[in-house]
Amino acid sequence: MKILVTVKEVAEAEDDFEIDGLDIDERYLEYDLNEWDDYAVEEAVTIAEDGDDVEVVSVTIGPERAEETVRMALAKGVDRAIRVWDDDLESADMLDVGTKADILAAVVEEEDPDLVFSGVQANDDGFGATGVALAEVVDMEWGAVVNDLDLDAEGGVAHVHRELEGGVEELTDIELPAVLTIQTGINEPRYASLRGIRQAQRKPLDVQGLGDLGLDASVLESAVSRTAMFEPESESDVTVFEGGAEEEAGQLADLLRDKGVVEG
Amino acid sequence: MDFELPSEHRMIRDTVREFCDEEIEPIAWDIEEEHRFPEEVFDALADLDMMGVPVSEEYGGLGGDQLMYALVTEELGRVSGSIGLSYAAHTSLATKPIEMFGTDAQKERWLEPLATGEYLGAWALTEPSSGSDASDMDTMAEKEGDEYVIDGTKQFITNASVAGSILVKAVTDPGAGYDGISTFIVDPEEDDGFEVVTEWEKMGLNASPTCEIKFTDCRIPEDRLLGEEGEGWTQTMKTLNGGRISIAALSVGLGQGAFEAAKSYATEREQFGKPISKFDAVRDMVVEMDRKIERSRLLTHKSATQYDDGEDVTHSSALAKYDASETAREVAEDAVQVLGGYGYTTDFAPQRFYRDAKLMEIGEGTSEIQRLVIGRQLGL
Ligand SMILES: Cc1cc2nc3c(=O)[nH]c(=O)nc-3n(C[C@H](O)[C@H](O)[C@H](O)COP(=O)(O)OP(=O)(O)OC[C@H]3O[C@@H](n4cnc5c(N)ncnc54)[C@H](O)[C@@H]3O)c2cc1C
Repeated sequence: MKILVTVKEVAEAEDDFEIDGLDIDERYLEYDLNEWDDYAVEEAVTIAEDGDDVEVVSVTIGPERAEETVRMALAKGVDRAIRVWDDDLESADMLDVGTKADILAAVVEEEDPDLVFSGVQANDDGFGATGVALAEVVDMEWGAVVNDLDLDAEGGVAHVHRELEGGVEELTDIELPAVLTIQTGINEPRYASLRGIRQAQRKPLDVQGLGDLGLDASVLESAVSRTAMFEPESESDVTVFEGGAEEEAGQLADLLRDKGVVEG
Repeated sequence: MDFELPSEHRMIRDTVREFCDEEIEPIAWDIEEEHRFPEEVFDALADLDMMGVPVSEEYGGLGGDQLMYALVTEELGRVSGSIGLSYAAHTSLATKPIEMFGTDAQKERWLEPLATGEYLGAWALTEPSSGSDASDMDTMAEKEGDEYVIDGTKQFITNASVAGSILVKAVTDPGAGYDGISTFIVDPEEDDGFEVVTEWEKMGLNASPTCEIKFTDCRIPEDRLLGEEGEGWTQTMKTLNGGRISIAALSVGLGQGAFEAAKSYATEREQFGKPISKFDAVRDMVVEMDRKIERSRLLTHKSATQYDDGEDVTHSSALAKYDASETAREVAEDAVQVLGGYGYTTDFAPQRFYRDAKLMEIGEGTSEIQRLVIGRQLGL
């Protein structure tokens, strides 16, 4: 069995930052593995540890800088990794969901995995669509926002819980091959062990360009472009209640009535 | 000259930092206040392969270098001086000498459990009446048949009450001065005649046990001698070369922790209508912290790198230890000042760093002794 995990290095901005053109000024950014992907990696690695003969491959689309992030996945137990990048990707203004799905689809075709895990969304651009779009392109079954997974590898079925709005959960069976987008909280991601980190330096990390995947620069064409970057105005209002519990409850009730949250 | 850390080292530092922030920092004050040695933290460090960073993989270590070990130690110091001190004493003083001077059989029996973190180790040199003048010791080891019999008292021994092995320095040839000292491996669980007399209450670092221990007719088999008879003092000098780098790294970490606390407080706390960091006096304190810490870190990394290149580090490690320990104490003191009244309360970390930092100017050779070492290196 083979599991492909898509991972992304995301930018995180400091609390105070400045905007430079269409992006946050580089000086205020730090890069790290996308939080959701950490859970996806953990889920795949746990399955590999519990089963026999499970290979876990991880794939990222990103510049050389992202290698440390991908190696962190290798350090946690992923067997090998693929990083897709070349000059065309480097010069693209932005990679939209469609582009990423097409690129990842080419990798899926090459690797032929039984399962693909992606994070529900990326911490930085937050489209929350790549996993499902990928399933569509490669014509696989899919399950989004999975927060519990019970895999029946022999039967070729994933029994999953999906988190819906309002605390509602859906229990579904999904036939493999499938793409699952993994929600935080599905497991407790491990720390990479120091030996894992050392071993990760020697695990294969293959760099492929669009050409290697049978694609060309046309995959980068997109109807979506970034036109502006700004910090939204935010307003906050604080009311501090004081007194005993009963008094405070009364004050809260008044406020809720005032604001129209409750009637009466 | 490359000031960029190798990627592997960066990844290790970042992982250790994440672990420290999430698992150690939240309990750092509690264990200090409770004077509790946090066994569970050391179990977790063992699971992450942190207990034998600079020990060869053959004996269960990580096979990393001194620079990697310094980075890990700094990260521990950044959140907890106690854990950092117990960790550094375990690694530099209790573990490394067995790798450097032990036989294959000794390494298998005594090095592996230390390097894998099965238990902690301790190293006993200091005595009640022999501190800076460490070779002037009274503890004796007499050969009787195929045993050695140890008698004497050792003072301020880190980890002794929680250790699975203790390296003990003792005189085997009273007339021979430096050449009359030898090192023995004592098993505090199994060997009779070993006793922990006191666990000291201290100004800081109270989650790291500091013990007075006593040997009374303590009989150990002759294969517990580390290296040859009479090599104990040269072993000590070599051991302390590495040890000083670890105390320097720990000190840099303490300084860094105090600096971060001061910097974030200074940008948030407002007086006279603006953040206190906007006042030159406060800003300059924080700037000075940055300057001193970076200086100490560079000295530490330089000495670690020289150590890894096989160069003699007597001079550079003394410089690093002397400088970084002073930095830690000064930075922590200023951090208390930056936080004002809150800095004096136990709700905030700077006072803890301040108290922990003071030991760094005392343990493994006081600052006075470091100056003596450096003076000698300069031919003065
Ligand atoms: C928390 C803690 C942990 C420790 N852990 C260990 C451990 O694990 N193993 C171990 O063996 N020891 C350990 N020690 C002992 C430590 O190394 C000694 O305390 C230290 O070397 C100083 O010795 P001393 O306390 O006897 O002071 P002394 O040597 O009595 O020094 C007193 C003062 O005199 C000064 N002085 C002494 N000689 C000179 C000189 N020639 N020139 C100028 N000034 C001088 C000193 O600098 C100091 O200021 C620990 C100590 C503490 C407090």
